[in-house]
Amino acid sequence: MMPRLGFAFHAFHLGLLRAASLLAPRPERAEWWREWRSELWHVRRQCAPARIVSLQAEREVTAFCLGAFRDALCLRRQAVKREAPAAASPGAPAQCLLWMALLLAASFALSLLIPGVRTAGEASRYQVNPNLILIQHALSDQQSRASVSFAELNKWRLSPQRSFDQFAFYSIVREKIVTEAGDPQWAVAHASTNLFSVLGLPLRLAESSARNDSNLPAAILGCTTFEREFEGNPRIAGTVLRIGRQFARIAGVAPCGAWRLPGKIDAWLLEPDSELAKGAAGYVVGHLTGFGQSEMFGPSVPITAYESSDVPSDLFGIAIESHVRGPMDLYLFALLLAFLCLPAVTSVSMSEYSFNSHKPSWPRRLGRASFLCAKIALLVPIVYYVPLDVAWWRVPPNSFAPQYIQLIASFLICLFGMRWILLDQRQRCPVCLRRVTHPAQVGHASRTFLSWNGTELICMGGHTLLHVPGLPTSWFGTQRWLYLDASWDFLFAGSSVQKAPL
Amino acid sequence: MAREPKPDARSEARLSHTSAMILQAINAGFVYGFSIMEMTGLPSGTVYPAMRRLERDALIRSQWERQSIADAEQRPPRKYYRLTAAGRATLDSSRRRYPLLERLIPSEEAKSV
Repeated sequence: MMPRLGFAFHAFHLGLLRAASLLAPRPERAEWWREWRSELWHVRRQCAPARIVSLQAEREVTAFCLGAFRDALCLRRQAVKREAPAAASPGAPAQCLLWMALLLAASFALSLLIPGVRTAGEASRYQVNPNLILIQHALSDQQSRASVSFAELNKWRLSPQRSFDQFAFYSIVREKIVTEAGDPQWAVAHASTNLFSVLGLPLRLAESSARNDSNLPAAILGCTTFEREFEGNPRIAGTVLRIGRQFARIAGVAPCGAWRLPGKIDAWLLEPDSELAKGAAGYVVGHLTGFGQSEMFGPSVPITAYESSDVPSDLFGIAIESHVRGPMDLYLFALLLAFLCLPAVTSVSMSEYSFNSHKPSWPRRLGRASFLCAKIALLVPIVYYVPLDVAWWRVPPNSFAPQYIQLIASFLICLFGMRWILLDQRQRCPVCLRRVTHPAQVGHASRTFLSWNGTELICMGGHTLLHVPGLPTSWFGTQRWLYLDASWDFLFAGSSVQKAPL
Repeated sequence: MAREPKPDARSEARLSHTSAMILQAINAGFVYGFSIMEMTGLPSGTVYPAMRRLERDALIRSQWERQSIADAEQRPPRKYYRLTAAGRATLDSSRRRYPLLERLIPSEEAKSV
């Protein structure tokens, strides 16, 4: 019985030491464990002789073992203090990645807060049907001028058409709206019932409003109006709204940023033709047939309409872009341009030479390549988010300036960011990845072809010396590394940076 | 030949009474952790971390006992500690600061062990 109990206590004490060993830093753990196990053997022999189990003695041994936790923690603190100056020293690889990660996090957080960035992203998600054109009278010199009356459109529709298979119409009127919150004035588009189906835009909340089978005309709310007036409450679908003198049923919400036709509209009132005929002149959207598409040779096309009186009326059609270039398209384009231009601003070659035959080990070379990949991986999203923040910061809606700003900023940040990454990589010690420092000019520029002339930089970890030629020559064209051996150690005796093996 | 690193100038000034006791115990011939605990009466959670700090400051140096000696005595090898030159200098100045240190752990006692 007694030996078994003694064995159990011994196993318990070993377990305590093993648990404490997990707190010791990994490189020193084996030796730490060996020392404490040896000490435990001696403590047990002195305090708890064999064949006798004394609780008092076991308590003393347990107290001894508990001290191991403080010892292991002390070792860990020492290890952390040793490593801290290296990580915090200027030019440490972790510091570089940390700064880049911080910039990325800040730009990402900012992009979430800027409303313009969100709208730009949503607009690019929707595309209108292809082969649509906006038709207006040739006399109207501006795209935003409503010039076609519904009566004219009706005549075209009734006559045989070769170029168009569908027409949609809308005219904008400011109407007083009666809601619970008040009676604001909205820009209401009185539109034909097929407007959204011709455009091919999906409506939000359309399903929930479809259950209401009233005969009232359908009202489609703009995204901004829905958020501003109804706080984005989905329950308003199917409810009745008074627009001007008539009542309408809310039949859906237009997708944010998807409206690309003239006019800033708060709501669309889809009405039958009889009601539209009473209204003012407006805009006509036509869908081209195959024949009509073959007649389009550019973004606009002249159109001649023959009405019943055989008096031709001159019109022109402007193609409606089906897909708006979103931030992602601009970003990818800028990225491609920047990578194409990169060889013009820096050498993209990463080949390096060494004065001696020594080469870093495979893990170190792998670590260096991983560091380069990590920097590029952090730069790529930075190039997306920072220009977005810059472009959409305090910019009015429906402005084209942000797109140009984003394109230029993405291009410049990517180009010069990549240049910095490559230059930085070339000045990283292949052993410890720290930046080489203390540049020293050696030789005279006037004697370039006679003797060595250039800059020498040294790794503060005492691993390498970098020689950069002042002028590339046939015998010394690129930078070279000199791996420092033990004879250089005296220079780094006081350095806080721990020297790692080559 | 390996040179002993210079002691940190601040370590001498900041040496606590506990550390000074441990230095004195090692100097007196108590050269492994458990014997230092027994001699000073300090718990393991104080003695071993203090020895780590003294070793970090190059005041003591550790060395494993040869395996053959431990095998002959049928026990695991022990890790022995000894003072460095810097440690001896620090101990001398600590004795001036703590005059009772030598009375607590006289060097003669070590000879009898």
